[in-house]
Amino acid sequence: MIRTTASALGYLVSSLVAGLVGLAWVLASTLGVGLLAITQLGGPAFLGAAWVTRRLADVERRRARWVLGAAIATPYLSTDGGTVRQRIGAVAAQPATWRDLAWLVVLFPLGLAGGIAATVVTVVHLAAVVAPLWAWAVPNPHAPFPMRPLMTTVPGRFGLTVLGVLLLPVTAWLLRTAGQAQALLARALLAPGAHRHLVEEAARLAQTRRRVVDAQAAELRRIERDLHDGAQARIVAAGMTLALAARKLRTGAAAASDVELARRQLDDALAELRRLVRGIHPPILTDRGLHAAVAALAGDSPLAVEIRGDPDDRYPAAVESAAYFVIAEGLANAGKHADARTCVVSLTRRAGTVIVTLTDDGQGGADPSGSGLDGLRRRVEALDGRLTITSPPGGPTVLSAELPH
Amino acid sequence: MRIVIAEDLLLLRDGMVRLLTDTGHTVVAAVDTAPALLAAVAEHRPDLSIVDVRLPPGFRDEGLRAALTLRAGDPDTRVLIVSQYVERAYAVELLADGRGGVGYLLKDRVTALDDFLDAVERVANGGTALDPEVVRQLFTRNSRNHGVDGLTAREQEVLGLMAQGLSNAAICAALVLAPVSVEKHITNIFAKLDLPPAEDANRRVRAVLAYLNH
Repeated sequence: MIRTTASALGYLVSSLVAGLVGLAWVLASTLGVGLLAITQLGGPAFLGAAWVTRRLADVERRRARWVLGAAIATPYLSTDGGTVRQRIGAVAAQPATWRDLAWLVVLFPLGLAGGIAATVVTVVHLAAVVAPLWAWAVPNPHAPFPMRPLMTTVPGRFGLTVLGVLLLPVTAWLLRTAGQAQALLARALLAPGAHRHLVEEAARLAQTRRRVVDAQAAELRRIERDLHDGAQARIVAAGMTLALAARKLRTGAAAASDVELARRQLDDALAELRRLVRGIHPPILTDRGLHAAVAALAGDSPLAVEIRGDPDDRYPAAVESAAYFVIAEGLANAGKHADARTCVVSLTRRAGTVIVTLTDDGQGGADPSGSGLDGLRRRVEALDGRLTITSPPGGPTVLSAELPH
Repeated sequence: MRIVIAEDLLLLRDGMVRLLTDTGHTVVAAVDTAPALLAAVAEHRPDLSIVDVRLPPGFRDEGLRAALTLRAGDPDTRVLIVSQYVERAYAVELLADGRGGVGYLLKDRVTALDDFLDAVERVANGGTALDPEVVRQLFTRNSRNHGVDGLTAREQEVLGLMAQGLSNAAICAALVLAPVSVEKHITNIFAKLDLPPAEDANRRVRAVLAYLNH
């Protein structure tokens, strides 16, 4: 209480100085850059002035910590690289540049008023508290009521002390509130605005999109290779066998075994294609949704799998697909690496999000950066979702994906 | 035998019609949507309908649903479902009424012509025909979860073949066993699955069902 009040007082009083410095700098830099603008030096002068303004604004951000408890975050975007002209454009285009200036201008009247008011209130209040020590030295018989009895009599002076002590919380509250108000205004102007958030969001989206495109390209390559080495090769083999059979038939030789072989080769090709289709998008997921598809997965898993969730819940196809592959990979990992025996899969719908959680009873120790999990993470992030895994040595492993839908 | 076919791919539909016609059956209607199937069955009252799981316009499981609708309306409707993929859940739904006269096969099986025609006959006569792939899926599941309460490995094998719809004689041939021992295994299976010893075709379906729901 005493510390926060003292901090607020310090903030308000130092604002007086900061406001003076800020206004002086704004005037000087505007004038200087304005004059230099007609010469070749205008650009560099603008960059230099902006640099100094930013340092001053940084001091303001750190000063706000006295009241807000934490320094205000820096809003600047990198302007490195490029020509001087490009950098001027980049700096000028950032709203933060102009908001800094606005704060330095606003700080002057605010700091002046706040600083003087805080000083006067504090001095008068403290003076009242210690009135018995000094009021006798300045007799003032013409002071108006109630100052005269308070100042001129001994009981009156002690009354002032009591009054001062009683009013201490009120003054402290006033100082803290004024400090808070000023610091909040500082934050409104100096904290990162929508512009920076949008720029960061755009960068993040560009990155996840690139990763998705990469992942998709890799997936297509895998499918191409699987088709090439699997079904395609088997169909070619069947064709060759049939060609052979046709030749035998022309010469009147028995071809029944060749035809039978070709049929088996085609069967293998079909089995291969079915396996591939299941890996791309399992048909039951389209037909019946996530719950049924997971039940089918559970049936094929060597683990005892318990599924929780509403069987009738349906989600957008992309969400169901991502959730399905998270579960498929999770179950495969639990069986292969974690040596688990049971696994609980829960599907929860919550406020525009579906949460998929797998909890196994294995020995844990999964590597969150492993290639399988990394692929899943890309898949989930492509949908603005989040994949988390906790796997302490000794288990259990909990794999969870949150997917907005 | 008079057969209705519901299959949306022209290539496969024509192939199936030719195959069945060549082997002495009559295809009274070959349609490509679920509503057309319902209409054709109502009109022709065929001995058997061969239906693709996935039909337009949704390309999901319209064929299966249409088949269930048909059997709900007339439990004696015989339906053989064919598909590019098999799902245990669909087999369970088809068998659920315990009446037989249903089949569920991969389309691939058409190439093993004799087996396929066998299955067609069996389903039309009120038996069942489950794809070996479905049976394999059933076994992965149940053998793990419960050990199927006391069924021996041989009994499981016999039950698997029963699930596919094979007759006692066919099971004897497949497992190279004497008819007596196959019968003994089957009696044991029925006993272990708590089924009454009365003999009829549906009893085998019920055995498979009991196994599925285990």
